[in-house]
Amino acid sequence: MTEYKKDIMWRTYVVYIGICLFGGAILFQAFRVQFVEGSELKERAEKSTISVKSIEAVRGNIYSRNGSLFATSVPVYDIRMDLKTEALTDEVFSENIKALCVNLSETFQDKSWQQYKEELTKARARGERYHLIKRNISYTQLQKVKTFPIFKLGQYKGGFIYEQKNKRKQPFWPLAARTIGNYRENSSSVGLEDFYNKELQGVNGSRLMQKIAGGVWMPLSDENEQEPQSGYDVYSTIDVNIQDVAQNALYNQLKLHNADHGCVAVMEVETGKIRAISNLKKGRNDEYYESYNYVVGESTEPGSTFKLASLMVALEKGYVSLDDKINTEDGSTKFYDRTMYDSKRGGHGIITLREAFEVSSNVAISKAIVNAFKKNPTEFTDALYKMNLNEKTGVAIKGEGKPYIKNPEDNTWSGVTLPWMSIGYEIQLTPLQILTFYNAVANGGKMMKPQLAEKIMNKGKLVREVKPEILNPSIASKETIELVKECLVDVVENGTAKNLKGMNFKIAGKTGTAQIANSKYGYKYESKISYQASFVGYFPAEKPKYSCIVVINAPSNNVYYGNQVAGPIFKEVANKVFAVDLKLHDVLTTQEHQAMSTIPYSKSGNKDDLLTVFNAFKIKTDGETSSEWISTSTEEEKVKINSQSMEKNLVPNVVEMGIMDAIYLLENRGLSVKFSGKGVIKTQSLPAGEIVKKGSTIYLELSS
Amino acid sequence: MNVLEKYFRGDKVVWVVVMLLSITSILTVYSSIVTLAYKHTDGNTFYYLIKHSSFLIIGLLLTYFTHNIKYTYFSKLSQLLLYLSIPLLLLTLVMGSTINDASRWLTIPILNYTFQTSDLAKFALIMYLARIISKKQDNIKDFKSAFIPIILPVLVVCGLILPANLSTAALLFITSIILMFIGRVNIKYILSLIGIGVAGLTVVILIGMAFPGTIKRVDTWVNRIEDFREGNVTENYQSEQSKIAIATGGVFGKGPGKSTQRNFLPHPYSDFIYAIVIEEYGLIGGILLLFLYLILLFRGIRISSTSDKPFGTLLVFGFSFSLVFQAMINMAVAVNLFPVTGQPLPMVSMGGTSILFTFIAMGVILSVSKQHEPQNSLADAAA
Repeated sequence: MTEYKKDIMWRTYVVYIGICLFGGAILFQAFRVQFVEGSELKERAEKSTISVKSIEAVRGNIYSRNGSLFATSVPVYDIRMDLKTEALTDEVFSENIKALCVNLSETFQDKSWQQYKEELTKARARGERYHLIKRNISYTQLQKVKTFPIFKLGQYKGGFIYEQKNKRKQPFWPLAARTIGNYRENSSSVGLEDFYNKELQGVNGSRLMQKIAGGVWMPLSDENEQEPQSGYDVYSTIDVNIQDVAQNALYNQLKLHNADHGCVAVMEVETGKIRAISNLKKGRNDEYYESYNYVVGESTEPGSTFKLASLMVALEKGYVSLDDKINTEDGSTKFYDRTMYDSKRGGHGIITLREAFEVSSNVAISKAIVNAFKKNPTEFTDALYKMNLNEKTGVAIKGEGKPYIKNPEDNTWSGVTLPWMSIGYEIQLTPLQILTFYNAVANGGKMMKPQLAEKIMNKGKLVREVKPEILNPSIASKETIELVKECLVDVVENGTAKNLKGMNFKIAGKTGTAQIANSKYGYKYESKISYQASFVGYFPAEKPKYSCIVVINAPSNNVYYGNQVAGPIFKEVANKVFAVDLKLHDVLTTQEHQAMSTIPYSKSGNKDDLLTVFNAFKIKTDGETSSEWISTSTEEEKVKINSQSMEKNLVPNVVEMGIMDAIYLLENRGLSVKFSGKGVIKTQSLPAGEIVKKGSTIYLELSS
Repeated sequence: MNVLEKYFRGDKVVWVVVMLLSITSILTVYSSIVTLAYKHTDGNTFYYLIKHSSFLIIGLLLTYFTHNIKYTYFSKLSQLLLYLSIPLLLLTLVMGSTINDASRWLTIPILNYTFQTSDLAKFALIMYLARIISKKQDNIKDFKSAFIPIILPVLVVCGLILPANLSTAALLFITSIILMFIGRVNIKYILSLIGIGVAGLTVVILIGMAFPGTIKRVDTWVNRIEDFREGNVTENYQSEQSKIAIATGGVFGKGPGKSTQRNFLPHPYSDFIYAIVIEEYGLIGGILLLFLYLILLFRGIRISSTSDKPFGTLLVFGFSFSLVFQAMINMAVAVNLFPVTGQPLPMVSMGGTSILFTFIAMGVILSVSKQHEPQNSLADAAA
């Protein structure tokens, strides 16, 4: 026994030494991996497991001046399917594919379920791991799709993949669509979206992310994060109500006259703020679309509306007086080899300059100007330049047309330039530039820069106000301004725009009917010449509040005079704006007010909105608050205002609110909203004042 | 005599090593099952923690239970287990459930619990070899009366494991040869046996390569070995990820639960757990773990040297060597010294059956060791 044992024992030690050597080799290799191959391996590891992901900042909104949402980013989703995910067995797939496809087909209504089935079955056979099912579906659709057979198993078992994107939406589309514009990276961007892109876009955040199980990226640590900063909100000067009126009126008139395109702009006289801007162009199926910003971009020969500038220069220089008599001959006169005609055949006989302006006599105006400036035409053009007519307005939109006002040094200046220029030919101006000029007249000579943005806000706080800018403090003397203002009123009272008369306020303005060479409209129009009918002016004439220009191009129904085609739009806009704008009306006396005093019931809501209403109806309010949201209680003679706490991190009280306000408030706080019923919110599942847990769901019940 | 000594008999160092390995096991498995948990239980790692912990506890109970059995009983038991395991191996080969295309698992009907029959066979074979070699000691150098009865069961068991699990079969074969070497079997025969083993393996591989797909595993082996030999980084994803784990772990490690490579390594809780240990606990942790196994083998040899019967000697050595050798292979794979084999790290890796049999084997070692403690000898004498 013992000799066996000795024999056995030495053998065990041999084996033990062998194992120890093996262990040594393992450790040696571990050292080698760490110290020899280590750095290269570490680098490779970081590349495949850690990366900096950018977090998209939420783009700011664009609002109307009244706070209506003109442009906002909404989340949309692309849904895809990983058809080769391990856990999706043939059994599960074949059993549920029909049900899934029927659901998809019913929800999207774009393909039959058989088509869906064929598509998915083929994609599975090809082993696609990222098969696109549908782009740009809404949040509610996504919630529904998540419950479909197979998809409800999730990404790993059901292969369901969705990706969130932000899509820009214009809730009031097509109102002012082109002016609000759009922003596309590396592409042509237009409108306010483009001009204020820097403010709107915010700052993208970044985050160090690490790849974890299942190919999911997870934030590495809190320190490595750069929070994205949401973009600022831009409040445009556009008034949603005026815009609505203007766009509708324009649309109807364009349809009526079957015109090629047209535009309207309304400007606040005192500030140059643009309250409405609409551009419509005939497109497919003879429908009208906002496709180009004619107001800002289209330079054309303005025609008769330019006579105002000519008249002002001549008056200012003292070369003419309104009572000068001018012979209109037979309605035509010759300058060198070219004949100028009046629109009225046979002429107006001998008329005063004032009358000539009223009836828009080309012969009379051009004769007066040639008479005054033929010796020194440069004096005329310099005077035009002094009124900023050869300068861009600098409006906050890309693509403003450059004005073109000739002077005698130009190669193209000829003997007939001066007379034709005086009535608005051989020059080019955009509608906005003409409006700016007329607005200056309405504003007592002070020329304001057209303004499209009111203010920049960040989460309800003012970042910066866009101040009205003066382009020219005085384009002409007070006397001249007063004189031409009279003339502009006369145009409507006695002259070419008599059809705009007869409202309970006075309009001042000037018609324009220009002939435009048709080449730019292509073969569509048979005649060589088409017309541009325009009307530009302001109202109320005595105390101008708004100026407005209407330009209609290529009306094709044989009616082309400015007063007939453009005038009605102006009239309609003026009429509606006058009816709506309370500042244009005299205030009711106290007695009148008391006679009608009953204090109405009011809902809770946004403070500014409610106070605007109360003030407008002269309802007394009680209680001061700085909070954005208020609740109200009606008392005998006044409405009591209580501030409603809308702290950013607390669940707000949304009872008695409408669903839109509630969703806005709640989702802004990171809650997801589910609701049932219609009407006003009656209950909320999370109590008001509770601290918000981001991502949790709040259930709302509505009833009317 | 304190309470611990009363209940935990046998070699105290072995007990401590078992406990330390169990603790290491819980720590690393809990950290490395994230991916698995993500796939199967929506990220519920707790489920796996409970499951694994209960296996360890059952294992420790089995160790405790086994170490109280007088080791001489295992001699007879080994015969029974061997006769039981051979038909089970056959059954597994024919109808075992397929995991990674390898028929290694058998589902126990009522319990619906899958277990790896090779674990049972391995356990039985080592015990049986200890028995038969010790029995034949008097004419051990003889061919017919000693070598043949010893080698037959080895060939049968290894041959049955081989098609489904090459590495286990090879490991068991090597363990058997070492055991025969220790047990003084004629070196000439042992060498010729190695020759036969290599030849047999070559035949299987050749068949596999000649008719691809007939023996699916052969394709895998060939690929694995080729990958390793060529050292092609892109094709050798597993070892690459394992090396990254080791490299990024550094000397002191990233700390418990901080592994990132667990997300990239296949079976980080089993085949590549040593890489995770180094990643989280550093080279220091890796060295300590390796030393635990070396200590275990050393204690095994010490215990076997004190055994008065050759059966005890060979039994302890067989189990401790088999366990430590497998551990070394696993670690060698993790550090990219060996091609990928799929051998778990005994007592540390997750995996039901292998853990249970390993703990029983530890119980057997402890059972032998306690025979020589004076107080226990007295107790035994009294019994």
